[in-house]
Amino acid sequence: MAGCIEFSGISKLFPGVRALADVSFRADSGQVLALLGENGAGKSTLLKILSGDVKPDGGRISIDGAEQSFQSPTDALRAGISVIYQERQLVPAGSVAENIFAGDLPGRSGVVDYKALYEQTAEIIGKFGLDIDPDEPVGRLPIARQQMVEIMKAYRRDSAIIAFDEPTASLTDSEISILFRLINELKESGKIIIYVSHRLSEIFQISDKITVLKDGCLVTTLETARTDEAELIRAMVGRDLGDTYAKLSRNDRLGDTLLEVRDLETEDVHGVSFTLRRGEVLGFAGLIGAGRTEVMRAIFGADRILSGAVVFDGREGGFKSPKEAIDAGVALCPEDRKEQGLVLFRSIRDNITMPVLQKLKRLLFLDKRAGHKLAQSAIARYDIRTPSADKAVVELSGGNQQKVILGRWTSDMMDTKLLILDEPTKGIDVGTKAEVYQIICDFAKQGIGVIFISSELTEVINVADRILVMKGGRITGELTRAEATEENVLALAMKDV
Amino acid sequence: MRQKSKFRAFTETKMFTLLLLLAFIVVVFAVLTPEGGFLKPRNIKNIINGMSVNAFLAVGAGCLLVSGQIDLSVGAIGTLSGVVFALLFGKYGVPVIPAVVVSLVVVAAFGFVNALLINRFHTQGFITTMATGLLAQGLGYILDGGKAIAIKSDAFNAVGTKSIFDGYLPISVIIAVVVFIIYGLLMSKTKFGQSVYLVGGNPTASYLSGINPKRISYILFINCSVMGGLAGLMYASRMKSATQSGITNSSFAGMTAAILGGISFGGGAGGMGGAFLGLIILNAFNNGISGVGIPPYWQQVASGALLLIALTFDYVGIRQRAFSLRREAARVGAGANAETKGDVR
Repeated sequence: MAGCIEFSGISKLFPGVRALADVSFRADSGQVLALLGENGAGKSTLLKILSGDVKPDGGRISIDGAEQSFQSPTDALRAGISVIYQERQLVPAGSVAENIFAGDLPGRSGVVDYKALYEQTAEIIGKFGLDIDPDEPVGRLPIARQQMVEIMKAYRRDSAIIAFDEPTASLTDSEISILFRLINELKESGKIIIYVSHRLSEIFQISDKITVLKDGCLVTTLETARTDEAELIRAMVGRDLGDTYAKLSRNDRLGDTLLEVRDLETEDVHGVSFTLRRGEVLGFAGLIGAGRTEVMRAIFGADRILSGAVVFDGREGGFKSPKEAIDAGVALCPEDRKEQGLVLFRSIRDNITMPVLQKLKRLLFLDKRAGHKLAQSAIARYDIRTPSADKAVVELSGGNQQKVILGRWTSDMMDTKLLILDEPTKGIDVGTKAEVYQIICDFAKQGIGVIFISSELTEVINVADRILVMKGGRITGELTRAEATEENVLALAMKDV
Repeated sequence: MRQKSKFRAFTETKMFTLLLLLAFIVVVFAVLTPEGGFLKPRNIKNIINGMSVNAFLAVGAGCLLVSGQIDLSVGAIGTLSGVVFALLFGKYGVPVIPAVVVSLVVVAAFGFVNALLINRFHTQGFITTMATGLLAQGLGYILDGGKAIAIKSDAFNAVGTKSIFDGYLPISVIIAVVVFIIYGLLMSKTKFGQSVYLVGGNPTASYLSGINPKRISYILFINCSVMGGLAGLMYASRMKSATQSGITNSSFAGMTAAILGGISFGGGAGGMGGAFLGLIILNAFNNGISGVGIPPYWQQVASGALLLIALTFDYVGIRQRAFSLRREAARVGAGANAETKGDVR
């Protein structure tokens, strides 16, 4: 069994993004090492390098001093590394036993020995002290149990190094305690455990050492017993604000109330109330899965509202479909640009004219020239880098794709009063991010109400006039830009409710 | 100069490839058929005459494919419409026009049911339409008692059999061309057509931009069935009777023509012009291989091979698109994934 794994000088550069820069740390047998950092700190990239999914540009990983070179996830598995991702990698229709032994089913000449399979599985389940039927299809188990199956899979492989990627995100408290008991047992049997999370309380509960990452760099490694929450938050947040925000030309005249949401309830949103004024930039902070996107989908008419009221521009009753919302002047730039925002293989023009086709209608046919003009003006206004409006959006860079969506909702034919931007700077380069911030402020100056969702704390607290923080489908606090610091927003985003 | 670059742009289009393919087929069969029979006026008439029934099917299936959906039931539904018409007209003495209307309403109901099952109950389109197709086929057998029903209406039969210009331009072909022109305009010039392409390209993004993908799906399934019904009626008119097998096996011919013409199986791409050329190529090919004396069963093998070739072309196209998507993702998205996607959920 391996005694330690060492990461030395690991670097990874994605175009426009420095994911990891010269990160070094070690994890030892019989210990739980926690990796802590904000979204985008580089935790996931590090795990992907560990699992052989991504190759580092520089640096090396060594186990007990022997340098490893993983060409594929299979190599990492052979070296005794199991990474348990948040998205469970199980076959839902397969039984618990089949999943645990996937790729290594007992039997001879291609025929599975089911008797042996079930016996061996029952043995493992017994060791974990769980009450799971080896024959049960994994898809029918509760999420927590599925997570346990994933862990049993790693246990069965007898991996020396087990990494967990945010394992508790979908677990209840009692399930978490089972998980922690298992992790402690694994630890005592001499495994190396790497535990990725941004939940401070559980990191204190489970870890022995904490390595903090920020913006792809190693900040520090601390002994869990000799640190406290305040020190960790300071380490996570760091202190390097650019002057991008200081240079923003903001709107200083707020209008009357544009949107009022009262006690909104949907499947994923609970008792959310807030108001937005014309010309205001309202930030929504929180960790992913906090329910921010779901609030917006409900306002936009894409998700069903169970109870509560949405009053927009004096109009009661909320919207029953995105079309109704759009007709009333609401625009949504969804979080997942490629899956939900763009028709990738259609032209810039087609993507920009999507919501205004009715207005482009002249008798029977579409006025293509007017559509073209609309696209041209968006290209000019947002400086979209493209040879022509006929280019398919798939060929544009992420930042330019985002500008196409902005162009769609702010074209001359739209009368957008409320613009909802869900993670508009995700995956775009730093320069374009700054442009987007100014574009947001410009919308506000035109009297448009802007809702700005972002998981990057720095940008949301520096661009928005007012920040609402969500967790678990509820609003946990409200701060003005003057009050907001990364520390207090983060504290609200992780607040136990 | 400008003229030249325009020509060059045209040579890079799918239409140009299709024209080349058609020219290739024409030359090969002109050489291979005895005495160059392939290019004799009578044979050319045969080729275009064979278009009329499949034109309706290609148009209906083509629109659905652009929206990212598929209908395997359309052939059986078309057969059923012929049977319903022949029964109403022959057995119950209903006049031609009302009988046509009723049979089209019946097939439209099938299209509605297809759309309902797929949109409301989220069943798989492939299996769903296979099942409703079987259902329509069985109903057809029950209604006609397993026998062909003669249609004794000169007016009705004229549509499928009469020609103008000395017998060289069949009325049915004029109708087919008009249908292609109407649907070509619909798909390329109207708001509806544009919406179909957008929904085929990305239904979620379309929905979030104020387009109603379900409404479009209903319209296109009903349209496809009605087109199938018209094809069935056209076939009955040509045969002067409603036969038992009718056009049941022609669902694939319509789709083959559409896919051959560049309408992507994945949705969002291709057009009616391509489908039209695809249909001509398909007919020329089928006519040619029987003209050179290839036995009927081998003709079927050849048709299957042609569909496979069309699908391969489509697949290569999709792969190229996916490749450019991946390349783009590597350029920008990878950073995005690393930065936010992974460690958040």
